[in-house]
Amino acid sequence: MKTAVITGASSGIGYATSAELIQKGYRIIGIGRDKTRCEESEHLLNALSSNAKATILQADLMQQREVERVATEISQLLEQENENKLDVLINNAGCVRSWYTTTEEGYEQQFALNHLASFLLTYRLLPQLKRAQGRVIMTGSESHKHMRMHWNDLMLTRGYNPLTAYKQSKLANILFAKGLNERYLNDGITSYVVDPGLVCTDIGCKNTGGLVDWIWKLRKKHGCQPEVPAKTYVYLCETQPAPRELYYYFCKPNRYSCQVTHENADKLFAASEKLCGIQYPARIKT
Amino acid sequence: MNVFITGASGGLGRALANECGKRGYNLFLTDINAQGLKSIQLGLERQFGVTVTTAACDLTSDESVDQLLETIDAYGIRFDMLLNVAGLDFEGGFLERARRDIIRIISLNNEATLRITHAVLSRRRENHPFYLLFTSSLASMYPMPLKATYAASKRFLLDIAVALREELKDKQVNVLALCPGGLATTREAMSGIAAQGFWGGATTNPLEHVSRQTINRLLHRGGVLVPGALNRTLTFFGKLLPRRWVAAAIYHRWNKAQKAWSPVEFSAGR
Repeated sequence: MKTAVITGASSGIGYATSAELIQKGYRIIGIGRDKTRCEESEHLLNALSSNAKATILQADLMQQREVERVATEISQLLEQENENKLDVLINNAGCVRSWYTTTEEGYEQQFALNHLASFLLTYRLLPQLKRAQGRVIMTGSESHKHMRMHWNDLMLTRGYNPLTAYKQSKLANILFAKGLNERYLNDGITSYVVDPGLVCTDIGCKNTGGLVDWIWKLRKKHGCQPEVPAKTYVYLCETQPAPRELYYYFCKPNRYSCQVTHENADKLFAASEKLCGIQYPARIKT
Repeated sequence: MNVFITGASGGLGRALANECGKRGYNLFLTDINAQGLKSIQLGLERQFGVTVTTAACDLTSDESVDQLLETIDAYGIRFDMLLNVAGLDFEGGFLERARRDIIRIISLNNEATLRITHAVLSRRRENHPFYLLFTSSLASMYPMPLKATYAASKRFLLDIAVALREELKDKQVNVLALCPGGLATTREAMSGIAAQGFWGGATTNPLEHVSRQTINRLLHRGGVLVPGALNRTLTFFGKLLPRRWVAAAIYHRWNKAQKAWSPVEFSAGR
């Protein structure tokens, strides 16, 4: 049985993808922030088929100690039941904030959740991914285009704007995936970014406040159902041999920003390693 | 520059600490939340490479503060700046709140602030300018029904700041009272702002601007800082009207907002 870890699995795209993967016979370990939603989604996922196996863990991934805690819990689960192997990691959890807000570490929340949480969680699960020749998938967005990284002010303290912060974090997702491929393709780990398109989820209404909430309520009506992008995730999990491109939209490779370069990916790795207090290994020891 | 920050693991405390870190100041952080202090210390060290010392402390307890001071004196630390941020509020009407909670507002916002201010002022670096911040609130400008105790406690800080500014002028102490409107510091604060509708959003100040402006203003001249043009206008007109009228208008507004929102507790700011 293949195992997939999915962040933001209790609703939206994460939930729809979990449901699709369960139909394909995957064992799902999800992470959600809201305890009630975690319990509900776990119940629903397990009811999908007779041999469905889903566990939704609760964690507030924008706080780094929560990422550490849940990574340990996941490692224990993988050790107990799956020969310490992880086939798929989907870094999907994300948020939008109307105002500049910080995590416990004093990091801007969108950057912390949309990028740093994935960066830290992936680091913690590298050995398990290598053992399974696994795949890492980020939830990106077309909005990463026409954006550059603000290297001197990643937390945007000099002029915060919700859309700038979101776009930058989504650009970071692609740079991260590119950096992972440059480092670990030889270890058998392949990384991708999925552009889900405009999807009818609640991302813009969860603790966003202000205008974003209002605009998103209007905008999401035009979005497709989360089951549509879920197909792209399944495609990237299942296709053999592993697809070779970086950025996918509707199960097909798509163009991404010219800002996605080797230099920028390296720069992001260095900055993120510092912010997470970790060092990605040159070769993964299993 | 050695900076002492209270309430450093709350939203405004963290933002101010970031601002100081960016400027390369050394930080001495305290808060009642030890876990939060640990996290913000890590974040500041990783981002700015500045020296950060933390000590968890319950500022409302004399013993806890004495213990903190002993540590400070053991190392002979002297300070150049004190940012009084620690504060709390309980939402809801006077009679709906527990007696103890109402007293806690005063013990932290006022008593504890004076306790630490006196202690840190006595440990300022000699013959150097000293910078002293009190975090008051836009709420200090008017009597506020349904937030009566909180608003009065913030008024106390505003008056203390203005008075101490004159009193300590020749001792080279700059004093600033910061009077922000809403600040999106916590999930609760954000839902509170949302519940107030248009006025909630309009009187909310961007946290990153407020922190930068605060440190700039504190370094230059002190005084009273009301961030945001709309908040300054409201303050100005608020002063022209009879206080009773203003109180009646505020009651009307908060009464509506609180019906749309279940009360929760949060610290550091509104």
